[in-house]
Amino acid sequence: MSQFSPFGSLTIGQYLPSGSLVHRLDPRAKIVIFAVLVALVAFADSYLVSLLLLFLLLVVARLSRTPLRFALQGLRPAFPWIALFATLQLLFYRGQYAADACQQLWSFGVLTVTTCGIRQIGLMALRLLEFMLLTSMLTLTTSTTELTHGLESLLAPLKRLRFPAHELALVFAIALRFAPTLAGELERLTKAQASRGADLGEQGRMRFVQRTRNLLPLLVPLFLCALRRAEDLALAMEARGYTGGRGRTSLIELKAAPVDYLAVTLVLLFCLSILASDFRVTEGLIVAAVGDAIKSIFDLVVH
Amino acid sequence: MGDVIEVENLHHTYLAGTPFEAVSLSGVDMHVDEGEVVAIIGPTGSGKSTLIQHLNGLITPQKGVVRVFGKDVSADGLDLKWLRSQVGMVFQSPEQQLFEQYVGDDVAFGPRKLGLDRHQVRRRVREAMEAVGLDFEGFKDRLTFSLSGGEMRKAAIAGVLALQPRILIFDEPTSGLDPETTREFLARIKELQTSRGLSVLLVSHDMESVAALADRVYVLVEGQTVLEGRTREVFSQCDLLRTYGLDSPQISQVMHRLRGRGRDVRADVLSVVEAEQELCLSIDFTGSV
Repeated sequence: MSQFSPFGSLTIGQYLPSGSLVHRLDPRAKIVIFAVLVALVAFADSYLVSLLLLFLLLVVARLSRTPLRFALQGLRPAFPWIALFATLQLLFYRGQYAADACQQLWSFGVLTVTTCGIRQIGLMALRLLEFMLLTSMLTLTTSTTELTHGLESLLAPLKRLRFPAHELALVFAIALRFAPTLAGELERLTKAQASRGADLGEQGRMRFVQRTRNLLPLLVPLFLCALRRAEDLALAMEARGYTGGRGRTSLIELKAAPVDYLAVTLVLLFCLSILASDFRVTEGLIVAAVGDAIKSIFDLVVH
Repeated sequence: MGDVIEVENLHHTYLAGTPFEAVSLSGVDMHVDEGEVVAIIGPTGSGKSTLIQHLNGLITPQKGVVRVFGKDVSADGLDLKWLRSQVGMVFQSPEQQLFEQYVGDDVAFGPRKLGLDRHQVRRRVREAMEAVGLDFEGFKDRLTFSLSGGEMRKAAIAGVLALQPRILIFDEPTSGLDPETTREFLARIKELQTSRGLSVLLVSHDMESVAALADRVYVLVEGQTVLEGRTREVFSQCDLLRTYGLDSPQISQVMHRLRGRGRDVRADVLSVVEAEQELCLSIDFTGSV
């Protein structure tokens, strides 16, 4: 990838039509499922649940007929951060609960490596992977138009409380629509200023002020462009008779099919059953066994 | 005189290996002689912009060779700053790239980045502004964003000229300009080219501008050069250009049609003045038209 297109490899928000079952699901169903699963991923603190979720997501990815490599491409730029957090986690995590029964493997001053630390790293990596898959699955299989309609429709009941559902959905749609446009504009500007001798993107040990100054040739024209586009857009919308959400109907009427209800129900059942069962106990036994094994191997290596 | 730009068998594919893969260039050959004005024409999406971005190192060749002043642009250790100061690139709508508060500062951006001292920077800014027709004293302290569209474009071009490049590349230099300003721009480009001995590469959809300026023309279609030759030769092939979704200048088409109807006139004229002369000759010899 060229040094001038930092967003060229970014795949979050990219729609990839394949006409699969997942693509054809009602966007509202997908948004609900997405929200529920995000919550579950965030709260899951056991390997069994995490692995189950990962399996579920891989099944969805397979059903959607989108290349898995594509869904995971967004992970690459995040790798240095993952490595950093994993290291911190490994060196400082000592366990939150007394019941965790952490075993200390190595210690030097404030630095401690425990079995819990290692366990947490694995969980964190799984969690990141699942977040990435979830987001990719939603955006790869749902066009921005569908997303916006779905969001507006889901928020519609709140309109009674004077919640600006339509306006919110519109803002969301415009933001999504213009992100790639502005990224393209930024690339064009970077190239133009580089052609005039600016050293952008080149690594150097510059002071902070200098580096910020180097952004000016990009930020000023970029903002001007964004403002100009905003003005044009407002004018174009008014010229086409836009007067806000009141009384506005949509070309695409969302209609939930039995398969949508089925999908949501299945996911909800899945989540409930996970919440109902206490996996930590089962897992505690497995982890204790694995932990003992790791410790004995560790001891063997050290001594 | 040698070639200042040589392009051999150049290929480029955007987002290769993804579902959004798009072939932009597939085997382009071209060259620009020293002091020559060369135009690249082609329908939208034919790879013109991709091609010119290779010439100052904004894109590195995926396959094929690009040499500028005999130096391979993909070679390790090539000084990109040097390359970019030698190959001045004026992008489409360059007035949208201005950012400094004062015109003089914006033009001075390039020279300052080259690390020149104050006096040299000042001299270059003066020269560059005057070359594009902006009075140095009158404009250097004007607020950039108070200029008119045409003046802003001039200021932006001055910003590139201040690098003192030996090759100038223009992407759609006259798009969005009124006829009067277009004529002025073309005259200035010609003037720059002759007075400084620059080599100029022009990408344009405006066939009249190309006819007025270029010595040679390349026709780029779907990432390949399908036609190449003296401007006169290329534009006399009206019918062939049509099939690529392009046109000759209107006056060339008129003469082409006249000839098609049996008039004994040359079809390879490029300007109204030439056509007028040709038609007068034709009247004199036949007695009637």
